Amino acid sequence: MRLGQELRLFLRQRLAVPTLVLLALLSTVSVATGLWEVRRQTETIARIQPLQAEEEKAVSAWVSREGDAGNAAYYTFHATWDPPAALAFAALGQRDVAPYVLRVRALALESQIHEGEAYNAELALSGRFDWAFVATFLAPLILIVLLHDLVSGEREAGRLQALQAAGGSTGLWLRRAGLRLGLAFVALGAPFAAGAWISGAAAGVSLAALGATALYLAFWALVCLGVGALGRSSVANGALLAATWVALTLVLPALAHLLINSTIPVRQGVELTLAQREAVHAGWDKPKDATLNAFFAAHPEWRDTPPVLTGFHWKWYYAFQHLGDLSVADQVAAYRRGLEARDAWTARAGWFLPAVGLQTTLHRMAETDLAAQLAYQDRIRAFHERLRRFYYPYIFNETPFREGDFAKAPRWAEDG
Amino acid sequence: MSPVLRIAANELRLLARTRVAQIAVALVVALSAVAALTAISQGRESQEIRSRFQAQADREFDGQPARHPHRMVHYGHFVFRPLPALAGFDPGVDAFTGSTLFLEGHRQNSANFGDVRQSSLLVRFGQLTPAFVIQALGPLVLIFIGFGALARERESGLLRLHLAQGVGARQVLAGKVVALAAVAGLILAPALIALVWLALFGGAPAPAVAMLAGGYAVYLLVWVLITTSVSALAPSSRSALALLVAGWAVSAILAPRLATDIALAAMPQASRLETDIAIQRDLKKIGDSHNPDDPHFNAFRASVLKSYGVSRVEDLPVNYRGLIAMEGERLTSALFDRYAERQFAGQREQSRMALILGLASPTLAVRSLSMAASGTDLEGHRRFLQQAEAYRYTIVQGLNRLQAEALTFSDDTNRNRDPEAGRRVRIDPGAWRRTPDFVYRPASTAEALTAALPGLALLGLWAGLAGSLAWGAGRRLARGAG
Repeated sequence: MRLGQELRLFLRQRLAVPTLVLLALLSTVSVATGLWEVRRQTETIARIQPLQAEEEKAVSAWVSREGDAGNAAYYTFHATWDPPAALAFAALGQRDVAPYVLRVRALALESQIHEGEAYNAELALSGRFDWAFVATFLAPLILIVLLHDLVSGEREAGRLQALQAAGGSTGLWLRRAGLRLGLAFVALGAPFAAGAWISGAAAGVSLAALGATALYLAFWALVCLGVGALGRSSVANGALLAATWVALTLVLPALAHLLINSTIPVRQGVELTLAQREAVHAGWDKPKDATLNAFFAAHPEWRDTPPVLTGFHWKWYYAFQHLGDLSVADQVAAYRRGLEARDAWTARAGWFLPAVGLQTTLHRMAETDLAAQLAYQDRIRAFHERLRRFYYPYIFNETPFREGDFAKAPRWAEDG
Repeated sequence: MSPVLRIAANELRLLARTRVAQIAVALVVALSAVAALTAISQGRESQEIRSRFQAQADREFDGQPARHPHRMVHYGHFVFRPLPALAGFDPGVDAFTGSTLFLEGHRQNSANFGDVRQSSLLVRFGQLTPAFVIQALGPLVLIFIGFGALARERESGLLRLHLAQGVGARQVLAGKVVALAAVAGLILAPALIALVWLALFGGAPAPAVAMLAGGYAVYLLVWVLITTSVSALAPSSRSALALLVAGWAVSAILAPRLATDIALAAMPQASRLETDIAIQRDLKKIGDSHNPDDPHFNAFRASVLKSYGVSRVEDLPVNYRGLIAMEGERLTSALFDRYAERQFAGQREQSRMALILGLASPTLAVRSLSMAASGTDLEGHRRFLQQAEAYRYTIVQGLNRLQAEALTFSDDTNRNRDPEAGRRVRIDPGAWRRTPDFVYRPASTAEALTAALPGLALLGLWAGLAGSLAWGAGRRLARGAG
């Protein structure tokens, strides 16, 4: 067949096989490091659970002696975790800087939920060598190598006229370009497919990721053909394509980042933690009745429990903890809106900048983007709510908290 | 005019007429200028925001009402990492670290609200700063302009003409190097202006500015020499371009990411949560303040009673509860320090390992030099964390001491039962105002310059390599002609 003949011709070129092998190698290495990283994260998650259980036992040992539920709620941490999605290996995303394991207590949540992870910022600055990186940044360069001289190379070799005389020039170029594109796609995609299979990803989302990548590569192939159609020399094509690559994958995304972050400032994070601390600690100095009445407005079910007469009572303490969170609810929402707006504008930029578009798509499918981070926080918020509601009956009814009660506390695993 | 300068002048005249060269240089100069302007103004803005927040936190701490000192231990304090003046040139890891830290008793919190977690994944595409423009884009422009310098002349036979006219091959090469170096100077100019501006009006230390200017000049010179040499050695201008762009991609794009993964794989670090649990466990092993029969705290009580010559804690002239708080804080802080030191050491190892890959990438070498001289490297963040922890310990122990000295044991014990005692344990808020404010001590110029040395050494190595490459290319060219 003609395609088979083209394949033989192409593979006989000096740069063809090494370039494709290089791409396959880079892709394989990136998939392997991604799988390694995901396994490390899974192991960490598995490791913290027995550690956490042990610590809980130590707390239970002294708390259940006195049976004070306030102490139980104060000293018991509850582990939460966000297991990597099946495709996380391909796009590690924000999971290096945002915690995927976090402990919370039944105290005010806003001073706990923004906690960070311990990581090496210099390494985070460089970023990870994951498959999304190879696909977005390196694969187009490989395509440029393969396609920049598609037509001009024949002209420079003096074969162009003969080829055109042989007929079907458009078909010929499309066939040749398609062949190179296809081979590059296989070199890039096959390791990914293997990785997806190893990590047990669903076929649908894996195919969708491959589809997005194929579209991205097709875009670059078209750019190469378009530049080739200008009729310049191979070397001019190469330079122009490399410049286009720099503009589309480095300069314009960096400009978009600059623009988005300066148009949508998010200072509410710091503001809300400062405000929340003021609100929580002002609780110590306010009349107890005022605090409790405000709390009962949100939780009327505890209104009829015995009044607080002593200088200190846990129910009053947990009431102003929760009121501290409630007092900054608007700022929390505004902060989140700011983050989501940044994300939404990035997705819009992706319509014009294919590199941004592909990164956004792959990270969404891998569930490692800002949205995934926020979704994890939402689940922590829901879990924290369950924790509070678990401890409240003990605290407000002054029920003793015994060893057996520790086991009744909500567990994260049930939440998914 | 010497032949070298004549060739350089000719080359520059030619370049000035070439549209591609015009556009490329104009674009990178414009980008560099935009980057410098925005980076300086953004740096100033975030510094203003941080000092405003810091002032607010200081004011709020000072303005707290009369309270039990332990309430203030939990009220805690916020500190913000100030931005060094040169962050306007190279913000380094600033966006990748939290800039605010909440300090309180018994706990060590993380630095939060770094840009990296507040931005979309665009932050991973690189930030448009003067440093980024020169590190990543500068060499590429030099490559585009210079890859044909000798290769094209050889292809057109112009080179042979030169040599036949009696110009030495080395002189031709040197002339091309000088011309391309002039272009590099043009590319560097906006960044240099920004640096000088920061030194004159931004309070940037002059030696660090000189180090940066020199470092980047050497870095671009390395690329000038490599580009010209490859242009002389490659069989065609097309393969020169391919080789150079591939080398650039490895240096600027591939090596930093690979270095990250290699360092992380070789030296993985424990998550924060595991460290927290480990600290709690170690603490329990030393002494459990919740256990009434704990040997450590029993021994502590015995030694306190003995040193005051009394037999009951009630008879102490100081509030024993305050002493217990101080002892507890001493134990936890010692553990925090030990674990933090271990973590810092691990991260240093990681960074050192990543820098070794600078042997394969001049970009990594100059980046390390640039961040260190600008005071925006990981060491700067570590310095902030360590000073903040020291400050945390100072104010918490100051408050605990107040609890020990300004409160009586019986008032402290009965504060929740007896309203009068409860009133007496709330001490005069003047004590909060007397608590010192956090003053961050940035790296001294000498420290910053020392930290920049490994990057400088690597860059020097690259300059040597590029120089010998050029020398070899000159020899090949001369032999080919003769």
